[in-house]
Amino acid sequence: MNFLLTFNKTTLLISSFFIISIICFFISFTYIQAKKIADIEISINNKTADISKPKFSINSNKQKISVTANEGNFLTENEIMLEKNVIFKSDKFKIYSDNVLFNKKSLIASSKNKSKFVSDKTSIDSNGFDIIENGNIINFKGKTKLILK
Amino acid sequence: MIKFFILLIILLFNYKFAISRNAGETEITTEDGIEVFQEDKYYLLKKNVEILSDEFNLTGQLVKIFFEKDLYDVKELIANDSVNFLSEEYNIRGKGEELRFNIKDQKIIVNGVNSELFLEKTKMLSDGEISVDNIKGGFFIQGSNSKLLSDNIYISGSKINGEFEIIDGKRNIANLVVEDDKKLNIKTDGIIMYAKKAIYDKKNSIIELFENVQIERGSEIITGDYGILNTKNKSYKVSSKNSNKVKAIITNTNE
Repeated sequence: MNFLLTFNKTTLLISSFFIISIICFFISFTYIQAKKIADIEISINNKTADISKPKFSINSNKQKISVTANEGNFLTENEIMLEKNVIFKSDKFKIYSDNVLFNKKSLIASSKNKSKFVSDKTSIDSNGFDIIENGNIINFKGKTKLILK
Repeated sequence: MIKFFILLIILLFNYKFAISRNAGETEITTEDGIEVFQEDKYYLLKKNVEILSDEFNLTGQLVKIFFEKDLYDVKELIANDSVNFLSEEYNIRGKGEELRFNIKDQKIIVNGVNSELFLEKTKMLSDGEISVDNIKGGFFIQGSNSKLLSDNIYISGSKINGEFEIIDGKRNIANLVVEDDKKLNIKTDGIIMYAKKAIYDKKNSIIELFENVQIERGSEIITGDYGILNTKNKSYKVSSKNSNKVKAIITNTNE
């Protein structure tokens, strides 16, 4: 006789139900715990920014670059971490990123996050950038793609 | 099910084309970033640079791209270190240590050891410099190991200066001036020529040879100060300022 046929169907059904219930319970428990931790982290990180909607500008003889973001936090007296929707805008181009370290004294901006440069018939995607010499030199870092139309 | 897998395979094979650049666009990728110099008006592209455009493809390790007023208005590029260039549009391919390409004027210069430039079936080689003006049709090869190879001609000399003419959409050598401080070498149709200077005139179908001239055909060797070869009937004449200086050696190979 086949070994599987010796099992009582009712017992097998009840055992399966219990096993599945235990698995579901553990999955739910793990998920709830993880969510609680995430909520705590969010509430910790959700502190108020030092500056809301900060605005700066980088001026040179040939161009003016305005710098805007949703939030700004002072790291030192001159260094500000610009966060969320950071935009560098001049007559010729715009650069979009999410986290940019900006020195308001030296007017050097630096980002290690994905950045997008957009100009007339030109776009650059990179893994960060540095703006130096009052915006004269823009150094796009890491794997970079330049499209000329 | 089979149809689904066939469709999946087709999609996988065309994936690269689906995400590639659009017609008219130039796509440039680098491993180590791009610097934009706005006042000096150039891009500096670093490490494993690849340029794909409708006119040409180029790879190199360090590339400078000069633009005019606007960032997209590219006029010239200078590529360094293991440069490979291919233009199906202009029927040119080349490689070398440094390549300069003026996009507006269609001038190409390849520098460095083992430089190569192919124009259709014409092959230019040099350890010095190869330059081609694709609009005017001029070319110049200079430096050690400079050579020009085509269907039925081999030329070596330290300076090779020439012009192309377009016949039926294909480039043909029209004029040529070859110089070498020691001895240049031209091989064509079983005739081998040596001299310090040679001038090829396609219109009159002649090759003139100057100084330390030597013409070899089969077992016949003739030397002198000046030589002239008719490329149509393959006849040649060698002369010398000193009438005693012309020397002919005819070896009987049947002996």
